[in-house]
Amino acid sequence: MTINNSGVIRLGTSTPSTTMMTAKGYKGDILLPDDLAVRIEDLTITYKINVDTKKTLKNAVMRASKGEKVRMRQVEAVKKMSLDIPHGSVVGIVGANGAGKSTLMRSIAGIMPPTSGRIIVNGKISTLLALGVGFNQSLSGRDNIILGGLAAGLTRDEIESKTDEIAAFADLPDGFIDMPVRTYSSGMYGRVAFAVSVSMTPDILLLDEALSAGDAAFKEKSFHRMRELVEEARTILIVSHALATISDLCDTAIWMHKGTILAHGEPGKIVEEYLKFLEVGTLPSNLEDM
Amino acid sequence: MSTTGSGGNKPKRSFTPLIQVFEPHKAQTPPLIPYFKEFWERRAFALELARFADKAEYLESRLGKAWLILNPLFLSLIYFLLVTVLRGGPNKDTGLSTLAHILIGIFMFYFAQNIISDGAQSITAGGRLILNQAFPRALLPFSSAVRAFGQFWPTIPTYFAVVLLGKVFYPKTHIPLADLNYLWAPFIIAALAITAFGLSLIFAVMNVYFRDTSKLLTYTTRIWLYGSPVLWKPEMLHGWHRIFIYINPLGPTLAATYHVWIDGVRPSNSELIGTGVWVVLAMAIGTYFFTSRERDFAVRI
Ligand SMILES: Nc1ncnc2c1ncn2[C@@H]1O[C@H](COP(=O)(O)OP(=O)(O)OP(=O)(O)O)[C@@H](O)[C@H]1O
Ligand SMILES: [Mg+2]
Repeated sequence: MTINNSGVIRLGTSTPSTTMMTAKGYKGDILLPDDLAVRIEDLTITYKINVDTKKTLKNAVMRASKGEKVRMRQVEAVKKMSLDIPHGSVVGIVGANGAGKSTLMRSIAGIMPPTSGRIIVNGKISTLLALGVGFNQSLSGRDNIILGGLAAGLTRDEIESKTDEIAAFADLPDGFIDMPVRTYSSGMYGRVAFAVSVSMTPDILLLDEALSAGDAAFKEKSFHRMRELVEEARTILIVSHALATISDLCDTAIWMHKGTILAHGEPGKIVEEYLKFLEVGTLPSNLEDM
Repeated sequence: MSTTGSGGNKPKRSFTPLIQVFEPHKAQTPPLIPYFKEFWERRAFALELARFADKAEYLESRLGKAWLILNPLFLSLIYFLLVTVLRGGPNKDTGLSTLAHILIGIFMFYFAQNIISDGAQSITAGGRLILNQAFPRALLPFSSAVRAFGQFWPTIPTYFAVVLLGKVFYPKTHIPLADLNYLWAPFIIAALAITAFGLSLIFAVMNVYFRDTSKLLTYTTRIWLYGSPVLWKPEMLHGWHRIFIYINPLGPTLAATYHVWIDGVRPSNSELIGTGVWVVLAMAIGTYFFTSRERDFAVRI
């Protein structure tokens, strides 16, 4: 296990490629090794939370007339993180609730803008993030598959040719695929969402708590599918509280703590240290003097 | 075994180089050309979203769709009765044209109002989608506009049906049925839609920051309706009072509507210029406002 003593972390054991590729930033070109899937540079992400009142025009006018200021609370969900993820890595991310894992995933997907720092992503991304896709509750699973695919950037032809495959992969009982999503159990919902996101043949797959709801049979199947993706040398980032998933599937792991990378390295070791922390409630002693 | 996607039997990596850079922004617009390119590539998503939203709403009731026509129709009739009473009773000569004007005016105004109010809520209502998928956010208000158009177009045959019926009873009326000036209509409708879409972009952003914007809009649109040449003729304003038509983003378009549909003449030059100015203004301000803020949506939803 490598303890993070700041500086740039490169996951895995491969040596950085010496061939460079260029990315276009706002302020000119950026050079980076061409074997990287994701480069995170000094990333900070802050949520702005309006503390006292509801966000309404009425309240804003009332406050302005009394000369009060809006009390904003800022939550730094990710703090000054730097990370290089080479292509073909299968990265597990563990950490306590509120550590910033989902926020990090959203920022890599381009959903959350960095408050400061920069993210460079090389490749097509498919996401299955914590809340599932924007599934419409009154539409059938099949309609939602189409909608989900289009939202993820597939063309209509692409998604229509895949719909049956996806439905077969989700393998819902008794024609539930044509029933409204509101009649689904959370596991059935999770199956459809997972089937959609692994169907995209992404270069980079982001999974946030994706496997938690499926039953044993579906877990087996999704593991199988993920191994296939791994063999195709795709990059996968998995956030999960099911620690066995992390140590089984991943070839490297990160432990996030309060928005920073506390440790990274071999998944078994990271999970072990993390479990110890969960039991004892204190950070490993070699970290405390940092 | 069932696999999805390219599966294990096709180990070839479909890797197309696609490098994206995400950087902080200080209320800056993103590079607009790639933005519009992406918007255009994903238009199918907006169209389908509109179609599915309709499907979800009217899944249970077939009558539901009929209400889309009946609702503005009844409203027009009520306004017609009100206007007639205010003018001191029915008038055989102008009665039908007043009704026709209110009909087409209400249909058009409702179209714009639906684009604006649904568009204004589209971002805050799209919570999950916004938090879990990256796409040009303008697709959501655009989808609302598409949906509003789907609800609007059936009112056009309704209008002609009413006018046709009216002509049977009052053959003397001057309301045009087949007239070359109707060639203006598609442009007027498009201009109305684009202006309303531009405005909906502005209100959609405001609604993210102030959640009561959409509620406020419902009151304002009522006043807006009374201030637009829908229940009154554009000719009722004289001299400098005519400015009230032109400071209203929908004013010149609705005045042009009156001239084409009821008078059967071409829109005046000032109406055309006013319409053009508002189209450009609404789109320019809307696009700037929206695209410069849209990356903020995810942290504020
Ligand atoms: N939409 C939001 N608005 C404001 N603050 C948020 C929002 N989402 C997350 N946060 C805050 O950001 C921090 C990190 O949250 P995040 O969801 O990234 O944690 P996580 O590691 O995914 O936790 P979990 O294991 O519970 O999923 C938390 O302190 C949380 O309160
Ligand atoms: Mg989370």
